[in-house]
Amino acid sequence: MIKKQTAKILAFRYKILALILVILAGGLVLLPKYQKNEGIKPEQLLANAISLERYIATDQIAHKLINQDPSFILVDVREEASFKKYSLPNAINIPLKKILDAESGAFLNQNQFDVVFFSNDNFEADQAWMLCNRLDYKNLRVLKGGINSWFKTIINPPKPTEDMPEEAHNLYTARKAASMFFGVAYPDQVQTDPLEKTQTAPKQIITVKKKKKAAEGGC
Amino acid sequence: MGPLIPNHLIPIEWNSIIAIIIGIAFGFVLEASGFSSSRKLAGVFYGYDFAVLKVFFTAAIVSVIGLYYMDYLGYLDITQLYVHPTYLWAAIIGGVIMGVGFVAGGFCPGTSLCAVAIGKLDAWVYVGGILLGIFMFSELFNVIEPIYDGYFLGNITLIDSFDWNPYWFIFIFSIIAIVAFAVADMVRKKVKKVFY
Repeated sequence: MIKKQTAKILAFRYKILALILVILAGGLVLLPKYQKNEGIKPEQLLANAISLERYIATDQIAHKLINQDPSFILVDVREEASFKKYSLPNAINIPLKKILDAESGAFLNQNQFDVVFFSNDNFEADQAWMLCNRLDYKNLRVLKGGINSWFKTIINPPKPTEDMPEEAHNLYTARKAASMFFGVAYPDQVQTDPLEKTQTAPKQIITVKKKKKAAEGGC
Repeated sequence: MGPLIPNHLIPIEWNSIIAIIIGIAFGFVLEASGFSSSRKLAGVFYGYDFAVLKVFFTAAIVSVIGLYYMDYLGYLDITQLYVHPTYLWAAIIGGVIMGVGFVAGGFCPGTSLCAVAIGKLDAWVYVGGILLGIFMFSELFNVIEPIYDGYFLGNITLIDSFDWNPYWFIFIFSIIAIVAFAVADMVRKKVKKVFY
């Protein structure tokens, strides 16, 4: 009798459990669906967009290029025609139109290298950065001021006047050296003949000394 | 926010430790609910005990409903969960072999180790068979390799490959489960009871 009673209760319990399961599963079907965003949330994107961390100065890029730093790739987001006319050394060309293509993804969506976007100024590069950041790609940077700034600061640095502080002069020297690395010639840095003449004279003396030394060694 | 480890809410170093803790708990529950008896598992095929069917079906449904609710509420990103890759024919052939072993031996690999732990002799033989099988597989690997690596379909799920609505699928799946439980109960009442 008691057994039958428990069996009944058990059966009732199972029915309740089955009902709960059906209600929960049905709830999933009936719940209003919402579109889920791929990538990061709008709040996060805004926080990233406000932050100036993404900008990298032309001086830093010049330093990295001169030291042959292998940790970054330069991505030119301008049109192909402009890229062919002039671009930074070792840059690859991914025009803004093609930024979402599958083949671009291989360069942009990786965490091996820093990706540095640049365009003529930083507007297009910022757009590219925004798209890629939205897709949650990592290690994205933007060249501050783009190629215009590159020309103004590295290729053709403004010469400081004499009353400017020492830092300005040091910066000018560094930038001048960098621009020489990238192929700019300065008249005052071109070596002249008199230097060579002074070099040849001591060489002759050395050869004479060497002969004497050879004789001494024989003894 | 979730899954916890891929999103670095728990450091990745804890992975194995958590796995060991879950494994011990799983083994304990298996043993405590009598799954280390081969008669209990064989009961599914002879129709006198459907505990195994009920337990694993319930586990699957409860977890899938819970996961989808957590996904809906934003606690978990279901696309980040690991999906085991599908090698179609390897899975079919392996499934058949495992099924035959399941019926013949009355253990699944997990419960056989539980039974070894409590000293059941048939489980020792069964685990010996597993090791023999591993040895044979390794020796014949060159012959089997095209099947083992072939027919690769990627990390797919039923929902991807048939383009089903996951919510309806879960709903229908839970109805099927409840019907299966009811039918199993009816079968069990008709079959002669076995005491073990």
